[in-house]
Amino acid sequence: MIALSVDVITKTFYGTLRWLWGRRTPGAVLSQLYQIGNRSLLFVCVTLGFLGMVLVFQTCLQVNRITGDLSQVGAEFIKILVHEFGPTLTAMMLATRVGAGIAAEIGSMVVTEQIDALRMNGVEPVDYLIVPRFLASLVMTGALTVIGVGAAIGMGALTAYFSFHLNPVVFLDVSHVRVGDLATGVMKCAAYGAAVPVVAGICGLAARGGSEGVGTATTRAVISASFVVILLDFFLSGLALFTFQRGGL
Amino acid sequence: MISFRKLEKAFGDKPVLRGVDLEVRRGEVLFIIGTSGVGKSVTIKHLVGLLRPDAGEIWLDGRRVDQLDERALQEVRKRCAMVFQHATLFDSMTLLENVALPLRKHGRLPERAAEKEAMLFLDKVHLREFAHAYPAELGDGTRKRAAIARALTLAPECVLFDEPTTGLDPVSARRIDKLIRELSDTLGVTSVVVSHDLTSIFGIADRIALLYQGVAHAVGTPAEIRASTDPIVQQFIQGRSDGPMETPGF
Repeated sequence: MIALSVDVITKTFYGTLRWLWGRRTPGAVLSQLYQIGNRSLLFVCVTLGFLGMVLVFQTCLQVNRITGDLSQVGAEFIKILVHEFGPTLTAMMLATRVGAGIAAEIGSMVVTEQIDALRMNGVEPVDYLIVPRFLASLVMTGALTVIGVGAAIGMGALTAYFSFHLNPVVFLDVSHVRVGDLATGVMKCAAYGAAVPVVAGICGLAARGGSEGVGTATTRAVISASFVVILLDFFLSGLALFTFQRGGL
Repeated sequence: MISFRKLEKAFGDKPVLRGVDLEVRRGEVLFIIGTSGVGKSVTIKHLVGLLRPDAGEIWLDGRRVDQLDERALQEVRKRCAMVFQHATLFDSMTLLENVALPLRKHGRLPERAAEKEAMLFLDKVHLREFAHAYPAELGDGTRKRAAIARALTLAPECVLFDEPTTGLDPVSARRIDKLIRELSDTLGVTSVVVSHDLTSIFGIADRIALLYQGVAHAVGTPAEIRASTDPIVQQFIQGRSDGPMETPGF
């Protein structure tokens, strides 16, 4: 598994460089942009929208009990969404939906010998299957995060207004969001976007046996990709704390 | 042409091949037969580097191929094509695109030229009318013929067939047999066929190798195999359930 992981990561890196330097199959990337991006849009929006509602409701409830001043809830909510919850929750959603899809597709290709057939036909499976997903995921994790954050803020603002009569103009305060928060969010989007398809691809390529093997690979992909997102979140948050967010950035 | 020498392979703690010695002669149709799980497909996959042996050597025309890296194996894969058990056509591509794939990737032909040439190969297996159909729209026999067309595009010297007639109706199976025999007779292609299909085996084989307990237990012409007094050979070719042959899982 370690050898396979190193092999896939190396080939994805070089495959991406080859793609960027001219040997492109744009159709494959466009198709994956649609699969990963458009087809996850509703899922991400609904999930982050509901989480936005719940988080704002619970925060307002607690703050109301302690101080009664809700004026800073929106500003802090938006700040934490930008550097923490937005990218991480979007990536967790993609780890389940996209990670499972990638592992199941590649896993079933392994057990039906289609990966062997690719190699026999002179096609490197990582270039053909993982690189387009990697590139599409890099782009779409960022795009979905922006839209998901928008959905969470919108639903949060509505919740604050209807449940606590908090004026949306007061809630939608972006003054607390610093460049460091944006940089942290972008860094996390890039890291998660890169990690999810690679981890899922490795799990798919490691599938053995028949349909049971594909099922195991899919489960492993969801768990591993989610775990990697959480680990990356921990380390990147620490990194950001000592770099971007240090000194008031 | 091809030589497997003391080939060994285990999956986990389960040994499959325990020292296979087998020679394949140029232009012949050699059938590798044996019970399920005995390592027939495993043996042929070693030749093209889809599996790596634990021990032993594989030679192709005087060149050792079992230690080649992935890049060097591309040359072996151009010379030795493979038709897989499940046809393994790519669902997202039409038959024409599937057959053109090795021409584009191995042969480095532009897409249009590759598809033009691929059409000639589809013609050879009488599938021109299905060129723009997707694999999911077609029957097993048609898909296998398309897989054979794809395997032939680079004019290989050798074709490895993994259970080419399994799951086909008798008419389609005999058409595939005829195609394999013609490849050898008219183009001099060497064919190594993994099969359980006794009609195919005794219908078109030049030689037969019976794998049993991880080694080539018996090798000979169909007449020699039929005449063999070995009880294992006789039990297999007669398809008897009772006898000395041990079959895993039974």
